[in-house]
Amino acid sequence: MSTQQLQMKRALQIKEVSKRYGDLHTLNNISIDVDDGEFLTIVGPSGCGKSTLLNIVAGLDKSYTGNVFVNGQPVETTGPDRIVIFQEGALFPWLTVLENVEFGLRVAKIPKDKRRETALRYIDMVQLSKFVDAYIYQLSGGMKQRAAIARALALEPKILLMDEPFASLDALTRTKLYSQLQQIHQNTKKTILFITHDIREAACLGDRVIVLSYRPARIKKEFIVDLPRERRIDDPDLQIVARAILEELKEEVRLAARDRVRKEAYW
Amino acid sequence: MQQEIELEKKPTGKRKIDLDDAANIALFLAIFLGVWQLAFMSGIWPKVSLPSPETVGETFVKLIANSSLIRGIGVTLWRLGAAFAISITIGMVTGLAMVKFRGFGRTVNSFSAGLLAFPSIAWVPFSILLIGFNDFGIMFVVIMSSVFSVMISTYSSIRNVPPTYLRAARNMGAKGLRLFWYVMLPAATPSLIIGVRQAWSFAWHAIIGAEILMSLVGLGFLLNMGRDLIDMSQVIVIMITVFAMGLLFDRLLLLKLEERVRSKWGLAQHGE
Repeated sequence: MSTQQLQMKRALQIKEVSKRYGDLHTLNNISIDVDDGEFLTIVGPSGCGKSTLLNIVAGLDKSYTGNVFVNGQPVETTGPDRIVIFQEGALFPWLTVLENVEFGLRVAKIPKDKRRETALRYIDMVQLSKFVDAYIYQLSGGMKQRAAIARALALEPKILLMDEPFASLDALTRTKLYSQLQQIHQNTKKTILFITHDIREAACLGDRVIVLSYRPARIKKEFIVDLPRERRIDDPDLQIVARAILEELKEEVRLAARDRVRKEAYW
Repeated sequence: MQQEIELEKKPTGKRKIDLDDAANIALFLAIFLGVWQLAFMSGIWPKVSLPSPETVGETFVKLIANSSLIRGIGVTLWRLGAAFAISITIGMVTGLAMVKFRGFGRTVNSFSAGLLAFPSIAWVPFSILLIGFNDFGIMFVVIMSSVFSVMISTYSSIRNVPPTYLRAARNMGAKGLRLFWYVMLPAATPSLIIGVRQAWSFAWHAIIGAEILMSLVGLGFLLNMGRDLIDMSQVIVIMITVFAMGLLFDRLLLLKLEERVRSKWGLAQHGE
């Protein structure tokens, strides 16, 4: 198979991407291939540049070296084939849930009844049908993230880019969302790039887990998580994987803590 | 799986009039009138300097009956409305230009404290010499007194839109005008309304001041005429009218607008 054909099969190719902010070297020669429909999680200590990598893939950050290909096409700017789900959801408080989910379609000038139909379908998928006309402040944290997922899905992107989307939620809500997200992945066959600093979350969700080192971030290790779906966060088999990932990350977390980039707990 | 969470009741909707508040206001007014009446009866001031509440009431009826009060209110509101509309338009356009052209924005913004604090009355001599003793002269004073508030608040509201909203919108394909209309403007609205309220209050200060000094009709003029005729009761009637109108416009119009936006956003209401 030629390289060209191989690229066609890849939903996403990150090739030798590096980034510097002045003196700060954040990404160091990162290369990742993501298969069509794969659920890939990237875990690394806080402040290591995970989010930067995601922004680069999204096309929101353009000052880097290296290349990013989606379906073999180089990424130059943002596009509706790659939608980000941010940690805070970034839903618009002046719009209802329905209007939020319709937003991308409205921007794309999709006719009103068509976009309503699409939006309602995805709102139903994340089980928020009862809250179609609610404003954002009326939703709980978990509901907000589900609405954000629906808003991303409504644009029918090839790739979902999730930037620590569950980091600010309580454990119970998170557990529910793990299950829902796995179902959505099963049903939609989207390629998902999921970034987190939570090791168990990474192991629970990912088909594959990539461990990034502390700054400058490079790929430290890769784990294939070959466990049946739908996985639960307290699955005993998962703990074995999580422990192996933890071993890899220990040193990096120590380095991060020494730098006091952020005072945060990692597990 | 399904989270059955009751939607919070929106703070708006049916608002029952708070009886306690009404009683307190009535009590306050009664005390105010009582103190006034006592001061009047004490005889410290001659009647011409401090008329009784009753005399003021009679003057009030008289000014309504000969329709000078209504005409005064009408003229003042017309000038104010026209000037304020111009002020909003110019202020917003300039504010947006400040956002668009960063150097210009930063420069003007560094003058903002001086512009906002500039006393409206200080524009009067300038306006008389530049434009003259007419409606447009008065409107000029009103515009100059409120336009900077609109301008600066437009600038800062747009600049303070949380960047995550913009990133999310760009990521979903919004750019240029659509990014502005669909995201920047609505995101800036709550703080923009506060700026407009402030501008309204500046405009209100300015129009009364300008009318006292440069008008032959309007509330400010009636106030000054009271002084010329040594008719304190007329002065007090106009002052009460000015007070009541300021209160009415802010409470019934601008505050309502702001509360509606704030409740939609789930922001705290004033006084909560």
